Amino acid sequence: MGMSVLTSDENLPEPGALTPAAAAVQDVATASATPRRPRARALLRRPTFVISAVIVLWWILAAVLWKVVGLDPYSNTGKLLAAPSWSQPFGTDNLGRSVFARTLVGADRALLIGPLGAVMATILGGALGVIAGYFRGIVDTALMRVFDVLVVLPPIIFLIVLVTAFGSGTRALILCIGFVYAPGIARIIRAAVLAEMGKGYVASARLQRESRLRIMALELVPNVWPTMLVQITLSLASAILMTATLSFLGLGAQPPSADWGLQINANMIYLQQQWWTVLFPALAVASLVVSVQLIADNIKEVSRP
Amino acid sequence: MTTLNPRPGAAAPGRGFGALAERHGRVLRLLGRRLVQIPVVLLVVSALTFWLIQVVPGDPGRATLGQYATDEQVRIWDEQNGLTGSLLSRYLHWLHGFVTGDWGTSFVFGQPNRELILDRLLNSALLGALAFVLLVPISVVLGSVQGYREGRRTDRSITIAAMSLSAVPAFVVGVILLLVFAVWLHLVPVQASALATGNIGQRLHAMIIPAVTLVVYYLAVVTRMVRTGVTGAITAQHHRTAVLKGLEPASIVRRHVLRNALIPTLSLLGIYLGALLSGEAVVEQLFNYPGLGALLVTAAEHKDVVLLCDGVVVTGVVALLALLLADIALIVSDPRIRFDNASS
Repeated sequence: MGMSVLTSDENLPEPGALTPAAAAVQDVATASATPRRPRARALLRRPTFVISAVIVLWWILAAVLWKVVGLDPYSNTGKLLAAPSWSQPFGTDNLGRSVFARTLVGADRALLIGPLGAVMATILGGALGVIAGYFRGIVDTALMRVFDVLVVLPPIIFLIVLVTAFGSGTRALILCIGFVYAPGIARIIRAAVLAEMGKGYVASARLQRESRLRIMALELVPNVWPTMLVQITLSLASAILMTATLSFLGLGAQPPSADWGLQINANMIYLQQQWWTVLFPALAVASLVVSVQLIADNIKEVSRP
Repeated sequence: MTTLNPRPGAAAPGRGFGALAERHGRVLRLLGRRLVQIPVVLLVVSALTFWLIQVVPGDPGRATLGQYATDEQVRIWDEQNGLTGSLLSRYLHWLHGFVTGDWGTSFVFGQPNRELILDRLLNSALLGALAFVLLVPISVVLGSVQGYREGRRTDRSITIAAMSLSAVPAFVVGVILLLVFAVWLHLVPVQASALATGNIGQRLHAMIIPAVTLVVYYLAVVTRMVRTGVTGAITAQHHRTAVLKGLEPASIVRRHVLRNALIPTLSLLGIYLGALLSGEAVVEQLFNYPGLGALLVTAAEHKDVVLLCDGVVVTGVVALLALLLADIALIVSDPRIRFDNASS
């Protein structure tokens, strides 16, 4: 095999996805052995976890309840570009819309596309990884070579190409995010499956003449399931980040959506005078992404023996 | 695949001419193999990109000529731009043009694509190189400090700080840096584009905040890699021997610790170098910096498919060359590493 970096089994981390995947795989092997209760308690004793969980809960509440509470992200309050005050805590933007309402409502999109994209990536990558690991040989080689080609491009460029092709509707975005992260997940699942293939239960399932599909779906998937779960949590932060990034680049959500990335993009021209139109959505994205990342890291660390 | 192979039969690679010739041979073999692989990978990338982008439902001819153009005019425009015929013939048309240096004309910018892309690539490469030059020493120092202080408070606080910082989206880091240094302190201009074409001093001035933003983005992962390398190296037997026989600490760090510790970091840096040099779309867009990444975003927005395809392939070329560079550096720095087919 030629390209050292491209074909090495440990999936090199992208910035943002902070943990070398190989470590994740090792962690998972031991994760299921630890009893559940003490793990939950250990998590609650970690201040970074608790704070992050509270922040994520806050955004989930905002995303679910904004309609109930009666926040209005679209209508003109009558004051254009007003500075933060008691009536408008985050000020208003150039169309007189409440930045406070828009910032809270933005959680809606961020928590829809990112997580579903991560799930999509895990399903797609998991399926391909199980197939590559189960069949080995030429199927494995072919799939891995395809993934090698896909990781040549920086993820954002790959995503730009995909979005150009499939458009930027909600469903298309979920699909695109899934495609971008699937190859990395597939490699990790493949490595986990290869480790499982040597075990007795696979051989006995084969001897019982179970069908290939059955072995893959009912024998292998449950056994690499913890690895898949870790991959979902690890890719979650990046997926949310990518969604916001696309909107920031003008390739995701379109006006008048309250998407955070889009708000930052649209209000950059007011940064010098009306900084609040940019700062609050920016802090919102940052708080959500960092919290999700910290939760994933904490879960991973607690699962460590 | 990279393998660490002690090769008991082979003579130990020494320091003299013999070692140099040996490494020379390995570098040449690697170059030879890549000379075949890289074009194949690029061919696949370009075909995939071309195919994906051509699925676009939009009508570039109509979009360029406007709603008052006749269907006939649109058809002629399409023909001139190689947009008629089957997908394969269009791809071959594009490929022929790309290889012979005729990259087509951008209908968004009304300029030859080649000029446009190479121009922007140079800007991106300057910014990326500056970020890279800042990133490497900072992460090596931080990672080494962490490695030496493993498990103590310094180690943990650097990890938490670097991780939280790099989980923050690059455009948020950029916004905050801009607010502090440009809007409130007036130290740098808010728009980088005005200065990006000036003399070298002005350019550096305009690039510094974007470069720092990029450094923050990549810092945590690279530092983590250095830290892992350093902790591994200082627990190794040869390190203990070197300390016990009383070698100078500086020389131990340089020759025994860093030389071993930085090998995994090198291949990671190869990947990031490619991404940095070919343009970070987000940072360029945020600072209005005229780089290749921002150009591709514009091309995607306006469905300028030929420009996008050319640009993506150029990005691929840069990424693959950066990887090659990293692998050569690996071979030169670690005589044990071989890239052989037999080993996988």
